[in-house]
Amino acid sequence: MPENTAKKILIIEDEKELVLGLATLLKAQGYAIIAANDSLFGISLAHKEKPDLIILDLGLPAGGGFYVLDNLKRSTETFSIPVLVLTAQQGADLEEQVKQKGAVAYFHKPFEPEPLLGRIKEVLKIVT
Amino acid sequence: MPKKDQANKIDHKLVLQELKENPYKKLNIAFSLMVIVPFLVFLYLLTNRLFSFNILVGNIGLILFLSFFISLCGFYIGFSILKNIFNQILSYAAQAKHSDQLKSTFVATVSHELKNPLASIKINIYNIFSGFIGQVNDEQKNVLGLCQSTVERMARLVNGLLDLHKIEAGVIDVKRGKLNLAEISSKQIQELQASADKKKIKIIKEFLDEVSVWGDEDKLSQAITNLLSNGIKFTPENGMVTLKIYLDDKFVKIECIDTGLGIPDDQISALFNKFERLNSTKEGTGLGLAITKDIVEMHRGKVLVESKLGKGSKFIIVLPSDLRVRKR
Repeated sequence: MPENTAKKILIIEDEKELVLGLATLLKAQGYAIIAANDSLFGISLAHKEKPDLIILDLGLPAGGGFYVLDNLKRSTETFSIPVLVLTAQQGADLEEQVKQKGAVAYFHKPFEPEPLLGRIKEVLKIVT
Repeated sequence: MPKKDQANKIDHKLVLQELKENPYKKLNIAFSLMVIVPFLVFLYLLTNRLFSFNILVGNIGLILFLSFFISLCGFYIGFSILKNIFNQILSYAAQAKHSDQLKSTFVATVSHELKNPLASIKINIYNIFSGFIGQVNDEQKNVLGLCQSTVERMARLVNGLLDLHKIEAGVIDVKRGKLNLAEISSKQIQELQASADKKKIKIIKEFLDEVSVWGDEDKLSQAITNLLSNGIKFTPENGMVTLKIYLDDKFVKIECIDTGLGIPDDQISALFNKFERLNSTKEGTGLGLAITKDIVEMHRGKVLVESKLGKGSKFIIVLPSDLRVRKR
């Protein structure tokens, strides 16, 4: 477990029960968790805390996930932080769209926890 | 103008926009012709045959003008009646369209709004099950396992509803590409292998590498998965599910044969109805086969069923091997 202690993950999600679940899951793997419940707070927290990875929901208040993604990828301070997108939205090209905008992975709700953990581990290894 | 009328007018326009030809235009032309033709005949008779305008004076003239006036009134009344009928038909069409749109929005919103809580429930159950919050004994794990499978079923139901809604609303995109069915099917079998192993069910592949079809990879994969997972679901332990793919003349046939319980004859016709589940089953959402049928029909194919009670069932997807060839 302690192998991940240094890694900080920012969860930008407005569904607080899901944030709680994700935080418990990720804390159990040894990650440090910070969370924001809307777009603007998420962007400011990303700039302030410089997390190692961001888990981003697309259906967010105050701008929406695409706005956050654009903003993070435009800024020199945050563009290198890998973003993993979670969404309940459906669309044939949604995955392609978020990946084009710079997200490293895309998970559709309700997602399986194991593949999510696997992808997080993979992404953080690459970044390191 | 009252709000309701205004809304109807807007919807009217929407329906009119969708029609290839504006029916009002044709109605106007038809009535114009109906008025012009007798008028021209009247003028022709008057100037070329009767050679006299005397016919227009006196009692005969009065009768002539009166009859001309009455026929014009008749045309106008007839026009109004037909226009009203047109309006009513269009208004019913607009109402039907509006309620369809409402239904679509409702299904999409409800399904979408269900996914967030489902994701929360799923991950929190997983956390408890995995012991991240505290020690869990075997009995508690069993209960959590039940909760997990219920959530899975709900997720499948929500996704199924969304898929079906998309197919029925005609908003689903069907991509066409040359697909290697062996490759796709092997992938689907691999994904379902774990659930087959749980019941010690053997999945047998009987297909050649070169069978290909023109279609949408995601949709056809979904159709094959639906048949395979049904086969696994309804086959008792130590049974067998066979997936056969072969070319039959200009058609590709995908057969999913199980050694399951079989389906009573009287239930076969209802199998592809939405939310239809066999009396003997508690599993499933009742949407899988309806979706499969819709997907296959989108590819101009059909799904056939053969079943013997107590021996098993055979579901056959028949697809034209090359969708680029047009029907004659």
